Amino acid sequence: MTIAREDIAAFADGQLTGEREAEVAAAIAADPDLQREVEAHRALRARLAGHFAPIAEEPAPDALAAMLAPRPAEVVDLAAAREQREMKRSLPRWSWVAGPAIAAALALALFLPRGGAPEGYADTQLAAVLDSQLVAEQAADSDTRVLLSFRDRDGDFCRAFSRDAGSGIACRDAHGWKLEARGDGARQADTDYRMASASNAEILARAQAMADGPALDAEAEARARADGWR
Amino acid sequence: MLPRLRRFAAGLCGNPADGDDLCQMSIERALANRDKWQDGTRLDSWMYRIMRNLWIDEGRASSRRRETFVAEEAGLSVGGDGAQESAVELSMVDRAMQQLPEEQREAVLLVMVEGYAYKEAAAIVGCPVGTLNSRLVRGRDALLEILGEKA
Repeated sequence: MTIAREDIAAFADGQLTGEREAEVAAAIAADPDLQREVEAHRALRARLAGHFAPIAEEPAPDALAAMLAPRPAEVVDLAAAREQREMKRSLPRWSWVAGPAIAAALALALFLPRGGAPEGYADTQLAAVLDSQLVAEQAADSDTRVLLSFRDRDGDFCRAFSRDAGSGIACRDAHGWKLEARGDGARQADTDYRMASASNAEILARAQAMADGPALDAEAEARARADGWR
Repeated sequence: MLPRLRRFAAGLCGNPADGDDLCQMSIERALANRDKWQDGTRLDSWMYRIMRNLWIDEGRASSRRRETFVAEEAGLSVGGDGAQESAVELSMVDRAMQQLPEEQREAVLLVMVEGYAYKEAAAIVGCPVGTLNSRLVRGRDALLEILGEKA
């Protein structure tokens, strides 16, 4: 079986599925050179993501923000006003204008004191994402993105995640998703867009230090989900 | 979505200032064409496509001018203090990105920075998935080469 360079890159990106992924994974497992290549791809990805992250984390310039959503309340009013004035326009067409406001509200909700979860564990919303979202299948605009999954030295499943309110790593134990590492996003409570001061690259480095073996591939991740991450 | 659009624009243009100009043009065009956005399709992909097309149409000349300027400025600050060194390090990634052909740069940004699946990125660019995949590999190889991370 030939493994093209495209296959290696696609594998590193979690873009292969099914049989092809298994084939490529097997070839990589048997070849240290290919493993280094996958590592290089992932390192490059982490470096690029880290390089461009600050732009997405800083508040947008007023001129731009004003074009879309000055304040959540105004957006809703604006949407409502247009809705009445132009009866033909459907609400979904406007939903994206309210998008930033909704995203900010979600970011707020995610790090509020949580109910139903013990101290130091992921709240219900984050836990739901960690329970269900697979790296290979998540939407590009997910509020919370899972960066990778791995097993730590105790054999527990851990998942590194990234979101507007900060990145982190959570490991599944008997009580839920225990937060093992967290960016300081939560401390900056007074801005609309909270900064994630721990970059994804940093979180990925932490994950590498905690991991016992390589990150789960898409298939192993799907299996882990089916088994409830236990 | 706005923070992500700004990030994509800055990546395409090579610097945040030109990126914000592109962002503003994209939002204006999106608002002017909002009737063309179809309910049920993904708004973010649509916005990225608008931005990408505008950049292809209008952004090239300005980003080329800027590239020359940044390279010179970064060269002058070599050997300065730590803060300047980190500025040089940052612009290394920027300059490496600017050396990529447009088609590779947008593929790298959409997949490796914006986190789109190949299929989604190909739909934004308007090319087959296989084409996107090979552009991406060429772009990555070039970046690994320039940034000295070749395995």
